[in-house]
This record gives sequence, structure tokens and C-alpha cells, in this order.
Amino acid sequence: MFFITYLWRELRRRMRQAIFIALGLAVGIGLVVTVTAASAGVKKAQSDVLSSLYGVGTDVTVTGSPPKPPSTGSAPPKGAQTFQMGPGGATVCQNGKCSNAAGQKIDHLDSAGYTSISQSKVAAVAKLKDVKAAAGGLALSDTSISIPKNFGQAGGSLPTPNSFNVDGVDTSHLSLGPLSAGSVTSGRSLKGSDANSDVAVLDSGYATSNKLKVGSTVSIIGHKFKVIGIVAQPQGGSPPAVYIPLARAQALGTEGTSSLRGKVNTIYVTAASAADIPTVQKEIKKLLPAATVTTASSLASEVTGSLSSTAKLANDLGRWLSILVLITAFAVASLLTMAAVARRVREFGTLKALGWRSRRIIAQVMGESIAMGIIGGAAGVGLGFAGAAVITAIAPKLSATVASATGQRIVSMGPGGGRSFSPTATHTVAVPMTASVTASAIAAAVLLAVVGGLLAGSFGSWRIARLRPADALARVA
Amino acid sequence: MYKLTDVTRLYAKGGRTVPAVRDLNLVISDGEWLAVQGRTGHGKSTLLNLLGGLDRPTSGIIEFDGKDLAQLREAQMTRLRAESIGFIFQTFNLVPTLSAAENAEAALIPLGIGAATRRRRVDAALDSVGLGDRARHLPGELSGGQQQRVAIARALVKEPKVLLADEPTGNLDEDTRDEIINMLEMLWRERNLTLILVTHDSTIARRAQLVGVMSKGRLSIRQDTRQRAATDSMTD
Repeated sequence: MFFITYLWRELRRRMRQAIFIALGLAVGIGLVVTVTAASAGVKKAQSDVLSSLYGVGTDVTVTGSPPKPPSTGSAPPKGAQTFQMGPGGATVCQNGKCSNAAGQKIDHLDSAGYTSISQSKVAAVAKLKDVKAAAGGLALSDTSISIPKNFGQAGGSLPTPNSFNVDGVDTSHLSLGPLSAGSVTSGRSLKGSDANSDVAVLDSGYATSNKLKVGSTVSIIGHKFKVIGIVAQPQGGSPPAVYIPLARAQALGTEGTSSLRGKVNTIYVTAASAADIPTVQKEIKKLLPAATVTTASSLASEVTGSLSSTAKLANDLGRWLSILVLITAFAVASLLTMAAVARRVREFGTLKALGWRSRRIIAQVMGESIAMGIIGGAAGVGLGFAGAAVITAIAPKLSATVASATGQRIVSMGPGGGRSFSPTATHTVAVPMTASVTASAIAAAVLLAVVGGLLAGSFGSWRIARLRPADALARVA
Repeated sequence: MYKLTDVTRLYAKGGRTVPAVRDLNLVISDGEWLAVQGRTGHGKSTLLNLLGGLDRPTSGIIEFDGKDLAQLREAQMTRLRAESIGFIFQTFNLVPTLSAAENAEAALIPLGIGAATRRRRVDAALDSVGLGDRARHLPGELSGGQQQRVAIARALVKEPKVLLADEPTGNLDEDTRDEIINMLEMLWRERNLTLILVTHDSTIARRAQLVGVMSKGRLSIRQDTRQRAATDSMTD
């Protein structure tokens, strides 16, 4: 085909210039691909951290307000157990009645980080206009202190505190909440028929460290739960240790001295569409003014540490650097194409004299520019892959510090006695930085290459379109 | 073929209007050979551009086969050049990256002719100028005379009615000049072409039927052998 022959010969004739233009575009496009890959890697790391907290498919999370930590020296709330140490040993007091604590085990399953919300509000949230689905959950903390019999005596042992997080899962909405993000590695997950059963699914990390497996039993404030499955959560989160049916968590859990029956402390919400998330957030805030309403994006903004800094770096510096390099590459390509057209005025004038229409000559020049763009794009994708591989190979693990929805229960002990509370905790996790080139990044690179070629060619084409054959031939003469 | 009536072409130059061609009246019939002479800058090339549809007159009428070129739209003018007018330039104006055959083929591209027919016509055109064995050579691999022969093949491959040649031997040595002019004369006779040739060389000009001299944009006919040629042919 004449078009291809002519195009190929011209590229060969201007080999050095073609390589220069293609390389310029390659560097620009390679940088865009690398930055996009890094950005995608950071986003994935953020997503892993967030999904491990709130689960896949959750757009909005509603939590009760965090409880205030008790002030030093204040009286314990009515019905609360306190633990006191004195010269005669340890005592446990409740409602003013004290008994010797030696040999006792104090065990609580409390609402971990948030005050409770009535379960009826879950249905109310689910009925909101832009809400697709809503599920309630209970993030609880099982805290126990075993007081040895010889505690307080000379040479006696110290109390052993133990704490792990328990998540009450709505078995009728398993696609929402932290369990949805996990993958079952052994046994099975919870199902609808487990709603009132004493069955539990364990986090793989907790199961390994406590040597538990499917078929084992796990004790939650003295109740035995049969382990039916083990799940692994995405790296980067701080998952609950045990997942049990919501109804069982409500039956066993307490908030201070109150039962949690008919209550939840977290509502996981899926919006009808991504565009509806801000509206849903407002609607829920109106319905539950005291609750904290968090979206994935607002939570992402609360993630701090090097992950956050890298995300900012990729989004801000990376993006602008890519744009700057691309603009430079496009400008250089356009100028060189203009210069090439200027050198070929006689050639184009002759072609016009032969009866070539301007648009045919423009197509020829555009074809050459786009071919250079595509070569540059292909090289740019290669550079992008190389850049992504280098980032993955040399980037240190990123740290992400996030507010934990399942905060650890803190046991404070002092002269006035010991008490426990659950502040809003933060935890820092290490997230591996993996820059991966996505199909959309490659598509964007091809698009940029074509755009670069078209842009470079269009300046030359504009000149050709204005070229009068007599002028072109006379100028040379 | 051509009928020029009061043709003027003005150019703006440094704030002044310069007439490159003025009040030119001329009739050229099918198969005639007009040689145009004159000093540089006196309108020879402008006249050739007007006749070739590369430029439009400021005023006057240029009829080509009854059509006023000035009234044609750009696309129609381009089509006319593609179909009916062959150009030969002093500097050959070959595309340096294309072979001899591909340069000739370039003239057939606007006509939308199929590849097989194009190849056949290109081979025939190169054979007619004696370059059948140089079809794959790039212009840089050919001598000046050979390059001009490729340019002639390119002009003739589309079988035009008119051949416009602007100083076709200006860049050639004497022997090659004669070779090219002999070839042009032969092709003119064989193909009944209308040949309009701009030259500084009086030896070449004298071989034409009509010899005009451009001076300050005006054309004066110095030689017209058409009558004699017609008489000769009647006597023969």
C-alpha cells in the first residue's frame, strides 16, 4: 500500500528525529504509566487497609459515638465491677459489695469502641432513599483478668490480663461488614442458619497464635463456641479475632452494666451508587445525629503514615511531573514535526501540483506522527512496566496509621481500683508497596500516544492546509 | 485547449502591488508547443502556474477546454491537475525517499486507480523514458538526467493533455539537455501533447512552434511556425 510505503520510508529517512520524538513521548508516557501504577498500588494498599476495617462493598459506616474515658478518681458506674488491691490482697467490688478476688476470673464482653445504637435504626437506615443495603454489627472486646490464688502474698503471681476482639455478624447480610473482606482458608463462613448458634469463625492470625482449628472450641466470657471456619483478612488491617452471629453477641455482650440485646454499635451501609454516597452520608447524619458517619474516602483521608505521604506524593508531585514531562514531549514533538514540514515544503508543493488534495497530504503527515506516537507509546509502556518493577523492588513497606473500629480494651489499674474502658484506638500496620501496571494505564498510554501524535501532526497539518502550491514551489525556486 | 483573455496577476510586495502578468491574451490549441522565454522575474513561472491551475489570476479569464479555471473550486482545480496536467520542474522535485517507480506512481494516487493497473502504467511510463531497469532506484542513486526522465515519466504516467515544463534542462549538462529535449519533442509528437515549456535556452525555444517572450509581465510572440507547419503538412 502506497500510504504505508511512503510513511515507512519517511520515518526511515528521519530515523534520528523519529527516534528522538518517540523517545521523548516514551519518557513522558512511561512516567505517566509508572506514576499511575504507583498510584494504583497505593490505592490498593489503602483499599486493603480500609476493607479490612469495614469490609468489601461497604460505602458508609455508622458507629456510635466513642465513650469518654473515665476521669481519674471518679466513682465507678452503678453495677460496674471494680478491682482493688490492698495490704490484705485483692478484692472485687460491685455495687459496694466486695469479696476476695484471689482465684477469681473477671471476664467482660463489652462494646469495644462505640456506644450502642438501637437495632431498629438499621432498618430505618436501610429504608433511606439512596441506600441499597444496611447491616448491623457489634464490635466487642472480650477482656478477662485471671487473679491467681496467691496474689498479694509474698512471692505470689501477678494477674494475667487477656483481651481479644469479637465481631457480631448479621448472618442475613454477610456481604457487608469486616467478614466480607476475608477469604475462608479452612471450614466455612457463617451462614443464615447460624443466627442463633454458638458457632464462631476465627481470624487466621488469631487461630494460628492460639493453635485453634476448625472443630476446636473458643471461649467467650465462659460460653463455648464451636469453630466452624478460619478466614484470612487482607494484609494491612487489624481484624477481629472471632466472628460470631450477631444475636449471640447481643445476648452475651454488655455496655457498661446494660445488655446489648436489640442493639448494635456499627451499621454497614451500601449506597445505591457511588454518586449517592455523599447524599447517604447526609441522610444518615440527619437520622442519627449523635452517630459518627464515615465514608471510605473520609476514612482514607484519616489514614496517616508513609502510606498517606506516598499517596500524596503519587497524586500531587507524580501527577504534575507526568503532566510537565508530557507537555514538554508533546511540544518538542510538535516543533520537530513543524520543522520537518517546513523542510518538506517543496515535496508537498509538488504533490499538490500532481493533484494530491491537502487532506491526503495531511493524512500522510498525521500517519507519520501517529506512527511515531505509537512507537513512543509502546516504548513508554515498556518503560512504565520497568518503572513499576523498580518501585516494587526497591520501595520500603509503607506504614498506615488508622483509627480502629475494633479498638483494644484498656484495663487501667490504680490506687482507686482497676477498671476497663475502650477509647478510640489507632493502630499502625505495614503495607507492602506494589506498583502494578493496569489495563486502564496501558489504554491511557495508547491514548496519550495517539493524542501526542495527533497533536504533533496537527501543527504541521495546519501549515500544509495553508500551503498554496505556487507559493511552495516558488519559495524553493 | 487554452484561451487567455486579459489575464492579470498582481502580487503585493513590500506594500506595493507588482504585476507579474498583465493583460495577457493567448490562444493555445491542442497539440501545440509553446516555448516561453524571458529574464528572471518577468512572469514566466507565474504564467506557467496560472496555466497549471497552481495559481489564480487577479483578473481576466483562463479557459481550459472551455472551463474558466478562476471559477473552479479548489477541489475541482486539484482534480483537473490530477487528470489533465503534467508538470516537469527544473529541480526534478522527486520525493527522495521513494523509488523511481514509486515517484511515478505518486501521480496516479489521486486518480484512485487500482494497484495492479498503477504498476502496469508505471512500468510502461518508465520504459518510455528508458528507465525500466531503474524502477527500484532512489532518486539519490540516479544521475540528474535520469532523475529528470523519472520526472517526465511521472508527468506522463497519467496520460495528461498538457505538459508544463519549467526550465526542464536548467540543471543539466549540454549532452543531457539535448537528450531530454529530444525525448520531450518525441513524446510531444507521439502523444499529441500540448507542451508549454519555459526556458532561457534559445536553442531549445527555437524547436517550439510558438515562441513567446515575457517582459515585465507582458507576452509577445516572437516566432509562430504553426502556419508553416500546417502548410508543410499539407504539401507533404
